[in-house]
Amino acid sequence: MNHWNRLWKFGSLLLLAYVILRGFSTPLQPGLVEAEPNSLSAGTQDISFVAVGQPFLRPGEGMEAFELILKSGTALLKTELTSVEAHRVSATIEVPTTLPSPALDAYLFTPSAGTLFLGNAFFVEDAEKGPLPSHLTASIPQESEPHLGFSFPYQPNIMESIRNLLWHVPMWFAMFFVMGIGFVASLAQLRTGNVNWDHRAEAAVRTGLVFGILGLITGSLWARWTWGAWWVSDPQLNGALVTVLLYSGYMILRAAMGDDDRVGRLSAVYNVFAFVMLVILLMVLPRYTESLHPGKDGNPGFNSYDLDNSLRAVFYPAVIGWGALCYWIYTLRLRMNRIEYRLLTQ
Amino acid sequence: MKMSLLLHLFSSSMEGFFFGSGKAHVVTGVALVILAGLALSLWRMDRRLSKMEDDLNAPQS
Repeated sequence: MNHWNRLWKFGSLLLLAYVILRGFSTPLQPGLVEAEPNSLSAGTQDISFVAVGQPFLRPGEGMEAFELILKSGTALLKTELTSVEAHRVSATIEVPTTLPSPALDAYLFTPSAGTLFLGNAFFVEDAEKGPLPSHLTASIPQESEPHLGFSFPYQPNIMESIRNLLWHVPMWFAMFFVMGIGFVASLAQLRTGNVNWDHRAEAAVRTGLVFGILGLITGSLWARWTWGAWWVSDPQLNGALVTVLLYSGYMILRAAMGDDDRVGRLSAVYNVFAFVMLVILLMVLPRYTESLHPGKDGNPGFNSYDLDNSLRAVFYPAVIGWGALCYWIYTLRLRMNRIEYRLLTQ
Repeated sequence: MKMSLLLHLFSSSMEGFFFGSGKAHVVTGVALVILAGLALSLWRMDRRLSKMEDDLNAPQS
């Protein structure tokens, strides 16, 4: 290995080590996950909220710095805090007999963690539709900017699993990258007939398939605990599966043809077709449909709702690190192909 | 003596790190060990292939 080769390979490992350290040790911003009890009725009642992530109560902060407000329609219903703990807040509320809406959203204003929100926190079963009594109406308190240090954003439902972004997404990017190499190699193979390009295409598809299968498994695992199912019938997910099956067909075609002289040319034609299908199935069709998967319905893959600066600081190194590791594995496979060819033809 | 002191300081700081954050850093350690294993195997494979290439490229005697 020359110095440059050592440098980028070692660099990719360092980047991945950084991603593991940062990805697992960065705390999550606090978020409200659960309200108790599930439903309310008119009268004075005790309510409480449970949070995950970093504690929203910092040392030196008192209960008076916090405020909890419930929102019914456009009206704000005041509460009286009774206790604030690291991951739990309790309050007393006087539920009126008339409300603009029976569904109540919760807003917890904190001095250092910003404003925490929980939609549809409570449902008032016997509320009649009407205005909120003026003595129960709250005013919006002064909001404070969160200053939590380096932390990952809290997203409802995704919660701590947001760290999967550093594994699942870069694996697909890495697959795209090597499949692109395979596509170019197959085009060159068709143009020149040089067996070296066939070796490149085969190595690229074989490596890309591994990353594609890892992308499917990590995505399915993530979907189970965010969407509630191992697999949902979705254009993005189905497209990913069809793509992996298409490339599996490439490997089967090569294996079935054995030592046939036409294997390079035929598999190159198939690979060009498979890559065009990959672009259509994963990058074009899902953009025109609604999907649970982020970045769909006309939006780009990642936008301000999916990533913040702290995630970007780990996500981009993860993309480069996984991409470089994938390329390293591709070069190893390519060299194996070349050695095997030389030994067989000598 | 100095070596044992260094070892003691190292192990006590390790304990502090791995007991922190509800022992979540143990997962970080496991993931790093897995990455190190993968890196070692790829590195060895790389070197073996280089050796095979050198053998193939060497002039036949």
